[in-house]
Amino acid sequence: MGCRIGIGKVRYMRIHRRKKEKTGDPLKDNMDLSQRYQEVQKMKLAPGLEQTLQTLQQVCGYSQDIKIRRFNINGQIPAALVYLNDMVNTLSVEEILRVLMVDIQRIEGWQKDRGLLRSAIKNLLIINSIEETDSIGELFYKMTYGNTAILVEGQAEAFVCGTVDIKNRDISEPLSETNIRGPRDGFVESLCINITLIRRRIRVPHLWIETFEIGSLTKTKVAVAYMKGLADEKMLEELRSRLRRIETDAILESGDIEQYIEDQPFTLFPLTLRTERPDLVCSSILSGRVAVLVTGSPHVLVLPADFSMFFQASDDYYEKPPQGSFVRILRWIGAIISVFLPGFYVAVVNFHQELLPTTLLLRVTASREGVPFPVIAEILIMEVLFEVLREAGIRLPVAVGPAISIVGALVLGEAAIRAGIVSPAVVIVIAMTAIANFSNPVFSMAIVLRILRFAFTILAVVFGLFGVQFGMLLLIVHLCSLRSLGIPYMSPLAPNIPSDMKDNFLLAPIWARTTRPKILGRREPGRQSPGQMPHPGKHSLDDIKGGNQDKN
Amino acid sequence: MLFMMRTTVVIALLPVLTSADALQDAWVSAIVSFFGAAFLVAMIAGLGAKFPDLTIVEYAQKLIGKWPGKAVCLIIIWAFLVIAATDTRIYAEALVIGSLTETPIPFIIFSTVIVGSVAAYSGLEVIGRAADLLFPIFVVMIVVSLAFAIPDATTMGSNLEPVLARGIGPVLRGSIIPTVIIAQYLCLTMIIPAANQPKKALGTALWALTGSTMVLVLVTLAVTAILGPHQGSRVVFPFLSMVRTIYISVFLERVEMFALLAWGFGIFIGVSVSMYCGSRALAQVLGLDDYRPLIGPLAVIWGTFSVHSYHNLFQLRTLFQPKIGGPYILSLILVPMGILWAAYGIRRLAGGKPDEE
Repeated sequence: MGCRIGIGKVRYMRIHRRKKEKTGDPLKDNMDLSQRYQEVQKMKLAPGLEQTLQTLQQVCGYSQDIKIRRFNINGQIPAALVYLNDMVNTLSVEEILRVLMVDIQRIEGWQKDRGLLRSAIKNLLIINSIEETDSIGELFYKMTYGNTAILVEGQAEAFVCGTVDIKNRDISEPLSETNIRGPRDGFVESLCINITLIRRRIRVPHLWIETFEIGSLTKTKVAVAYMKGLADEKMLEELRSRLRRIETDAILESGDIEQYIEDQPFTLFPLTLRTERPDLVCSSILSGRVAVLVTGSPHVLVLPADFSMFFQASDDYYEKPPQGSFVRILRWIGAIISVFLPGFYVAVVNFHQELLPTTLLLRVTASREGVPFPVIAEILIMEVLFEVLREAGIRLPVAVGPAISIVGALVLGEAAIRAGIVSPAVVIVIAMTAIANFSNPVFSMAIVLRILRFAFTILAVVFGLFGVQFGMLLLIVHLCSLRSLGIPYMSPLAPNIPSDMKDNFLLAPIWARTTRPKILGRREPGRQSPGQMPHPGKHSLDDIKGGNQDKN
Repeated sequence: MLFMMRTTVVIALLPVLTSADALQDAWVSAIVSFFGAAFLVAMIAGLGAKFPDLTIVEYAQKLIGKWPGKAVCLIIIWAFLVIAATDTRIYAEALVIGSLTETPIPFIIFSTVIVGSVAAYSGLEVIGRAADLLFPIFVVMIVVSLAFAIPDATTMGSNLEPVLARGIGPVLRGSIIPTVIIAQYLCLTMIIPAANQPKKALGTALWALTGSTMVLVLVTLAVTAILGPHQGSRVVFPFLSMVRTIYISVFLERVEMFALLAWGFGIFIGVSVSMYCGSRALAQVLGLDDYRPLIGPLAVIWGTFSVHSYHNLFQLRTLFQPKIGGPYILSLILVPMGILWAAYGIRRLAGGKPDEE
């Protein structure tokens, strides 16, 4: 599979220079990584074939995945193919060999004229790309992309041929973001495939993809995809500068990038939306957002993100609007329950008993009869236990999973109540909270809500509902002060943008959502022409005469 | 501009919950107070509209010279201090009476001041957005409370009669306090330059005032109808007492805690705006570039002031007696704004264009 990414701006990172310059032989053991790196970058190919091959092997410590195929060009000039095992297409390599060993004799006098040999290689090989390089470092770097190098005796340049055939995971349904309706493809670890998945949905040249290379050791390709002319240029420039600012030696996942490019590092809230779904990424790009794809990560970052995005799933859009609105409202209620319910319970039981209807109050009090702990201890014990259970459940092999739920549900819940250690009301509260929390479609937000719940529980036990209010105000101030790539995090709620409320708590029908989000899509506000509300046509089927006759 | 409107509405609605005098004709007072308040708002916001890019500290110095200008602004800053401290204290008293009977008042006050100073530290934009978020909660609370009060209020409508039985005098006296509480609008003098369309500030402020007067009339009507004129004027927090009477079903009784908390959101906006304006004005008077370093010390002063200036609730209520609070708060508005308007007028008459200097 050909990997042809238009490289916009590639930046080679330098390893941080922290030690004294130590020159010497990079092949010796006493060279440290950074010095070794710089020495190898300086190394050039030698004219002698064997010498080059030996240097190459010594530089990589005779690693066994480097394959060298020695041969003679048309039986006369020694040459070698160098590639990394299992990254190349065998057929392509055989094709190179066939051409160089046999077909090249059709060209007269290639043995004497090296220029002729070069043009022969370039013209005879049916390979999609042939580049030349004279640096060992660059040669190796290109080989890691599945290219094959042709080294020829007496020539200090290598011909690098595109023969890539890297094995990838198949495109499959993303496990962390399952849906009922909508496309089932998900991003994979290959950047090229991921870009293809987006391209297949947006077929105009205005989908621009800029590539950066970050990480001096991992040399990770990071692609920024956006609609040219729709995404705000200042926002893009800001993103570019944040990406360029990164100086590190390793980027292994998009989570690593996420932490470098956030607006405000000291916040619990996710300021970028992470998704495995191409349809979600495309709809974000089409509303003026930017997607950041990272090699080796199926998680694509979408930014700027706003708070409401974390309560939306792609299903909402594919179902009819009332259904979509219904589940969205449910999710918001779920979020509120999952943050405030334990705190509310603690506050009511400790301070504000009058808020409960008398019968309910009696029930709660009766169920607390004989429980040895104060309410807050009960709640915290159960909360922590539940969180531990949940965390244990994630890492468990599928086969052991049910065992955990049995232990959790029966042993902890049932036994704790029977033994009178916790009151049934607390178990109900914790269970409701937990279930409500799982209604959140985005993990990174759900976990924030879980952490907040602890804070609110503690505030509630100290200050009662006033403490909850205190925390809520701090939370609101904090949320309102957040920005994601310069866009207010709480928009369109605060600042309130009425036209964007069509796609927030409630979802308007698709023919009514004629405009893009106001701040993001201001360069091209119109999405579709208005007035597309469907209406029944003039002809209906029961007008057809003799309708009831045809019954075969 | 939008956010400013919301903020001001919220601020304007606050006093509604605390003041209901003049017996059964309180609602007439509310209507009357609109005219006085409108005049004051016009006075406050009108001058700001003449200098759309300047805060009061800046244009006061332009109009009457450097030091006199600063001196006048100190009065305004004092007003911010009084407003924020009193708001906080009222809220704290209400909480302690309403539910947290054993919590020390300074504790609540300092918590509120901390939240307010965090908001003020984050800047006006953040306060505005927070107001955007809280505004619906606040309005829903008032609307729901009023709606729940309707069944009771209609059956006890006789409490509202006879209309104007004691002549217009008490009505006018009753309207003094709702009028002067408009001092909250003094924050406009600091906010206007930050608004998107400073020229429209006056209109927006008047709309906000209209909205709040309507609510004020409705609330006083409901309170008087349900509690009766004499009790309505005697209880400490009439609105909360009214909410307490709400009994829709077994499930919806004694919900005044929620009303109280929703009211707290409004208090929060008012306090944080006052703190922001106060510290920003003080920073400008002192010639500092950034107001943020002032917030810490000022927050302490605010909290202390709020704790110590009133010994108890009754002293607080005395402040809201027409005889005491009227002249006091009114002078906080009239003196600085009067001086500035006079200076503006004189300069205008002298042929200069004071707003283009």
